[in-house]
Amino acid sequence: MILFRHTKTDGAEYLSHLDLLRHIDRTLKRAGITVKTSGGFHPHPKIFMNNPLGLGIKSVAEYCAIETDFGGDFKKAFNENSPNGVKCLDFKTSEEDPNFAHTIERCGYSAEWDAPFDTEKFLTRNRIIVTDKRGRTVDIRPRIYSLEFKNDTLLFTLGCGENNLRPDLFCEILQHESGGKASNITKISAHGKHTF
Amino acid sequence: MTVNLENLRELLLRVEKPSRYTGGEFGAPALGQSAFDFCMCFPDLYEVGMSNLGIKIVAESILARGYTADFCFTPYKDFGSGLKELGVPLYSLGLKKPLYEFDMLGFSMQFELSYTNMLYMLDLAGIPLLRKDRKNGKYPLIAIGGPCAVNPEPIADFVDMVFIGDGETVDADVADIYVRHGGATKEFFEKITKLDGVYVPELSNKVRKALVKDLDGAIFPERFTVPNCESVHDRAVIEVMRGCYRGCRFCQAGFIYRPVRPRSVQTLTKQACSLIANTGYDEVSLNSLSTGDYPALRELIKNLKNDLPNGVTLALPSLRVDSFDGEFAQDARRVSLTFAPEAGTQRLRDVINKDVTEEDIIKAAESAFDIGYSAVKLYFMLGLPTETNEDLEGIGRICSIIRYCYKKKKRNKPLRISVSCSTFIPKPFTPFQWERQANAEEIKAKQEKLIDSLRGKGVTLNWSDGFTAKLEAVLARGDRKLSKVIKLAYINGCIFDGWEKELNKDGWEKAFNESGISPDEYTREREENEKLPWDFIDIGVTKEFLLSERRKAYKGTVTGSCQNSCKGCGLQKHCSAAGGTR
Repeated sequence: MILFRHTKTDGAEYLSHLDLLRHIDRTLKRAGITVKTSGGFHPHPKIFMNNPLGLGIKSVAEYCAIETDFGGDFKKAFNENSPNGVKCLDFKTSEEDPNFAHTIERCGYSAEWDAPFDTEKFLTRNRIIVTDKRGRTVDIRPRIYSLEFKNDTLLFTLGCGENNLRPDLFCEILQHESGGKASNITKISAHGKHTF
Repeated sequence: MTVNLENLRELLLRVEKPSRYTGGEFGAPALGQSAFDFCMCFPDLYEVGMSNLGIKIVAESILARGYTADFCFTPYKDFGSGLKELGVPLYSLGLKKPLYEFDMLGFSMQFELSYTNMLYMLDLAGIPLLRKDRKNGKYPLIAIGGPCAVNPEPIADFVDMVFIGDGETVDADVADIYVRHGGATKEFFEKITKLDGVYVPELSNKVRKALVKDLDGAIFPERFTVPNCESVHDRAVIEVMRGCYRGCRFCQAGFIYRPVRPRSVQTLTKQACSLIANTGYDEVSLNSLSTGDYPALRELIKNLKNDLPNGVTLALPSLRVDSFDGEFAQDARRVSLTFAPEAGTQRLRDVINKDVTEEDIIKAAESAFDIGYSAVKLYFMLGLPTETNEDLEGIGRICSIIRYCYKKKKRNKPLRISVSCSTFIPKPFTPFQWERQANAEEIKAKQEKLIDSLRGKGVTLNWSDGFTAKLEAVLARGDRKLSKVIKLAYINGCIFDGWEKELNKDGWEKAFNESGISPDEYTREREENEKLPWDFIDIGVTKEFLLSERRKAYKGTVTGSCQNSCKGCGLQKHCSAAGGTR
C-alpha cells in the first residue's frame, strides 16, 4: 500500500468528499498508477481516505491510502496529474492497512481570530454543553484536547472519528461565547497510529 | 481586476455546490493576458455546460491561435444573488476576471429557454442588456452561437454578432480580424460580415452558415477540463460524425448540421485515447445525431476496445431502433435502454419520416432483453401534424407489444417501461417550420387521452408542461419584436425557464401583456409564401427541399436515409454521401 498526505487548499476546500475521491481516482489514472480494485460485479478502486472534512475547511493534513504495486516517484507522478489544491506532501509504503478513517483520533487546526481570547479561562471549564443540529445536547469538553491563542491565531486540537467535533462548529461556539470571529480555518495535523 | 475567492468565502460556504464557482480544474488551460481575451459563456449551470462539447471546440480554436479563452457558466440563484449583494461582478472561472473586461463574450445558445439566462449573466456582469445601451461604453462584444443561432432574431437586440454554423474556424477568424483592426471598429464589422457564418444584426442582410468541409482534419481538443463537481455527462466525448442521414421532418438538428461528415476511425481512436489519458475518465461517449449510422461503427468499436486502457467503457447514446445491435450495447451497464419511436402508429411515423417500423422496434427490444436489459424508456412526441386519437392510442399498443416480447421468455427481473412524451415544437429550417403548434387545450386533451390509454399497462409516463412547450415554440420561430418580451420577462424574474420548478409562467404572461404581443401570433400556421424571420439565413438546405418534404409528409411518404440515395437537399456539392464516396 502507498499511504500519502495531501492538501485540500487553493479552492479544493470547496470540493465535496465524494468529488475529492473522484479526483484522486482520476489523478491516479492519469498518472498511470494502477490501483487494485475490489472484486465483484461493480469493482471499485481501493482508495481509502480519512474522514470527510467539512466543506470550506482547508487542510494540509489529509491522509489517504491506496492499494497498488506502483514503485516510481509517487509524489511527483501524483502532483503532475492532480487538480489545483490537491497536492501530495509526503508518502510512504506500508504492509499494513492504516484505516485512517478509524485510526486518526485527533486533528490539529489553526484559525485566524480577530479579538483577544482567554484560552485558559475557557479550558478551566469541566463541561461545555451545546445543542447539535439534531437538537441533542452534547458535552463537547472531552473532545477538546488543546487550545492556544498566539499572534491572532487560534491553534486547537479536536477529536476526530467517533469522537468528532467539527472545527467550524467549534469556532462558532467560541464566537458565541467570546464575540470574536474565526476565518481561514485550516486542518494542520492529524494524529493516529499511522500518521506521519 | 481579478476577483479574490477569499472575499467570497462566506458566500461560497452558503451556496449549493460551491466548487461550481472556484475554477482551478485539472486540465484547464493556463491563461494570461492576450491580444484577444474571449470568454465562452454558457447559459446554464456549470454541471450542464461542462458536459457540452461545442464550447470546448470553440475555446480550443481560440486558444490555438494564441488568444485567451476562459469560461463562465450561469450561477444558480443562490450564488447570483449573493454576488449582487456583495457588489461583485460575475467573473470567469480561469482568470477570475469580471466578464466586462473581456474583448468578447460568446454565448452558446443550445435551446430557446435559456435566453433569459444570457440576460441574467450580462446583468450580473454589469453589462447593459441591449446593444444600443452599450454604444458609449467600453464593453465586450456579445456574440452567440449554437443551434439557436439559426434564428437569432428574438435575441438580435441583445447581441453584436451571431455565429451561424460550425464553430471550428470562424470564431477564431473573427478574433484575428479584431486584433488586426485594433478592436471593434467600423472596418472590423465590415470585414466580418463578409465571412460565412457571421451575422451582424445592424449590418447584414444575408448570411450563409459556416461549414467545415474537412471534419476529420478540424480542430478538436486533446484534453478536457475535468469538472470540479460531477457534471451531467462526466466522461470523454468524441464526435463520430456531424449531421444525420435521416432527415426526420420535425428535427432541426437533422437539417441544420447537414451534410453528414463522418470522422475517420483512425482520427477518432486517436482522439479517444488522448482524452482518456489526459482526463482519467473511464468512459468514452460516441456522439453524433445517430451513431448507429456511422459507416464504420463496427471497426471503430473494435479499434477503441483494442487501444483504450482496460476498464474504459464505451457509451453509444444515440442509437436508432433499427440500428440497435446487441454487440454495440455489450459494454454498457445493461439496465435501461432508450428508444425513440416518436409516434404511435406507422402512419404517423411515415408522416414524420422516422423510417422505423413496428418490426424494428420489436426486434430491437427482443435483442436487448436477450442480453439482459430489463427496462425500456420510450420517447414520443405529442401534437405532431396530422395526429389523431388513434396515434395516441398507438403509444399504448407499442408498450403492450414490448411487454409481450419480454414475457415470451422467462426473465429474472420485472420489466419496467417508461414513456416520455414531449410536445411537438415546429422549428426553423425543418419541413415542419410552417406548421401550427397545438394550443394549450388541445395539448391537455391529448395528454389526458394518452394517460387514459396507458392506464393499467404498468407504464410510467412523463410529459412536458404545455406552457413550456408553447414558450419554446414562440421563441424558436420568433422575430425581432420578441427581444422586448424576453427583456420584460427577465425583469419580471424569469430565469432558468427550462427547469420545470423554476419556470415563472406569470412573469412571461405579464411580459407578453405589457408588450402587447400575443404568443398565439407565433404558434399559428405560417403561409408557405410568407416571409419567415430566418429566411435571410442560408443554411445550405433549400426552401424548395423543405417544402417538398412537407408535401410528402402530408402524403405519408417516407423519404428515407441519404445513405440509400441522394435526396437533393441542396448540399450535394459538399456531401460525401451524395458524391457516391460510400
